[in-house]
Amino acid sequence: MELRVASEVGRFEDEGWRVRKDGSRFWANVVITAIRNKEGRLVGFGKITRDLTERRIAEQRYRMLVEGVKDYAIYSLDKDGTVTSWNAGAQRIKGYTADEIVGKHFSNFYTAEDAEAGMPARVLDTARKEGHFEGEGWRVRKDGSRFWSSVVVTPIHDDEGNVTGFSKVTRDITDRKKLMDDLQQHAHELEVQMAERERTNAELEAFSYSVSHDLRAPLRAIEGFASALEEDYGPQFDETAKDYLNQIRSASIRMSRLVQDLLAYGRLSRIELVMRQVDIQATLESVARESNVGASALIFEGDMYRKVIAHEPTLIQVFANLISNAFKFQKRGTKAIVVVRTEKAEEGLVRISVIDNGIGIAPQHREKIFKVFERLHGMDEFPGTGIGLAIVKRGVERMGGRVGVDSVPGHGSTFWVELPAAPEGQAS
Amino acid sequence: MRQTDPVLLLIEDDPADARLIQRAIEKVDIPAKVIHISDGDKAVAYLAGEGAYADRDQYPLPWLMMVDVKLPKRSGIEVLQWVRAQEGFISSTPVVMFSSSSHGVDINAAYHYGANSYLVKPESSHQLQSMLSLVKSYWFLVSQFPHHPDQRGKSAAN
Repeated sequence: MELRVASEVGRFEDEGWRVRKDGSRFWANVVITAIRNKEGRLVGFGKITRDLTERRIAEQRYRMLVEGVKDYAIYSLDKDGTVTSWNAGAQRIKGYTADEIVGKHFSNFYTAEDAEAGMPARVLDTARKEGHFEGEGWRVRKDGSRFWSSVVVTPIHDDEGNVTGFSKVTRDITDRKKLMDDLQQHAHELEVQMAERERTNAELEAFSYSVSHDLRAPLRAIEGFASALEEDYGPQFDETAKDYLNQIRSASIRMSRLVQDLLAYGRLSRIELVMRQVDIQATLESVARESNVGASALIFEGDMYRKVIAHEPTLIQVFANLISNAFKFQKRGTKAIVVVRTEKAEEGLVRISVIDNGIGIAPQHREKIFKVFERLHGMDEFPGTGIGLAIVKRGVERMGGRVGVDSVPGHGSTFWVELPAAPEGQAS
Repeated sequence: MRQTDPVLLLIEDDPADARLIQRAIEKVDIPAKVIHISDGDKAVAYLAGEGAYADRDQYPLPWLMMVDVKLPKRSGIEVLQWVRAQEGFISSTPVVMFSSSSHGVDINAAYHYGANSYLVKPESSHQLQSMLSLVKSYWFLVSQFPHHPDQRGKSAAN
């Protein structure tokens, strides 16, 4: 048979198992060539036998490797795109068995739209021209369901460099795609929320702007005309009339403070706090100087050189409220002694305590006092808006700190705030 | 009235504020006739000498303008812009903007469009008088006003 073929076509090539003298087997590549004389008459055959056992084993291993891969669809196409081989991964991902798909065109894997738009041809074209195609897209399984694939197509060349087919590696990355889509969706939702919050902030800003303008105008008028009455007509008023005038004026001043404090409190929640190093003692002294207590009224203790990371205008508001409270809530006839102690606290914080010898706060009220409009005393006793400590709490918390109070009723209170310490030995 | 007499044009829509400011001006004795205008459109009509304000003897050009930032119709800033955009002498008029707003946006807009000063309305009448006393000292005692090409040849201090 072999010789007949060789004599008819001039050459016969085959591979197969052969047996050695000792009975062992080897994978042989056999080439039989017909030898003819000048007249063209067959005079014999040349036979070359090569032992290709090693190559045979390597190829088999490689094929088993490819066929066994489950996570990747690895298959080959001829130059027109007809499927010529199929692995386990391909079957798992696409749903076809080798029998069902080998010999069919790979455009079966595309969605109808993509196939119609000529995607399969373009993929092969790109691979042919550029030596490589890589892409992601929807593909269709045998059961019609879709999956998001990552595809690499590489052309296979013969010895002359002609493209004889393609190898194709496909991964099902639907989960990753879904994750990416979810992330994108989430990012988009966040953006929408941010925009909404910015819009709300802008509205609140506009609101507080008009409050500060429109609500304070009538207050100015009340205070202004009450003063005008007193200045211009004071001598004609008896004591009762003067008292009425004073009531009007003090009410308008209180209202004015209330508006200011509310604006400050509202603003604290919205504005962006630019944090930098702030010197504690310098800030406290300037706050005391600005208020009516005077800078020398504060007694400093501890490591006053310390600096904290804070938003300076907010820290000033916090200190101003704590210091004015420390001097305000005093027993009648007692001289206020206010000590400010600074010390290192845990977790890289600095604790600043404002310690007074005032009336103190009963334990059951210590949580409540940090809430807006919570007041423990009548206006006659201790005037105030009930917003000061709420400003302290929100301000400190927005600066990444903590706030609290310790107190012995009748003996005094210690309000403390903890703020992030500034790195030491660094210029501000 | 001769145009050489100093005139302070007060443009303020809130009648209470206007009254209180006028009273404070009297108290600190600013040496100028105060003319009060209650909105932005009227202010522009006054300055342009249009309609009811055509008579310059009765409605002379101001030496100094005090303009509330927030006004109905044309805002204070728009009045300021109008003043600065004029061809003639009016464009040189010193303008003091004032407002209950200490918002950076308002302040910057005022200076951007050529305000000479920006004052925030104080909370109390006492503070208002202090402020207007400073306005008097600065504008009417130490500053020189622009010279009108025809009539105005001297400052209020002379």
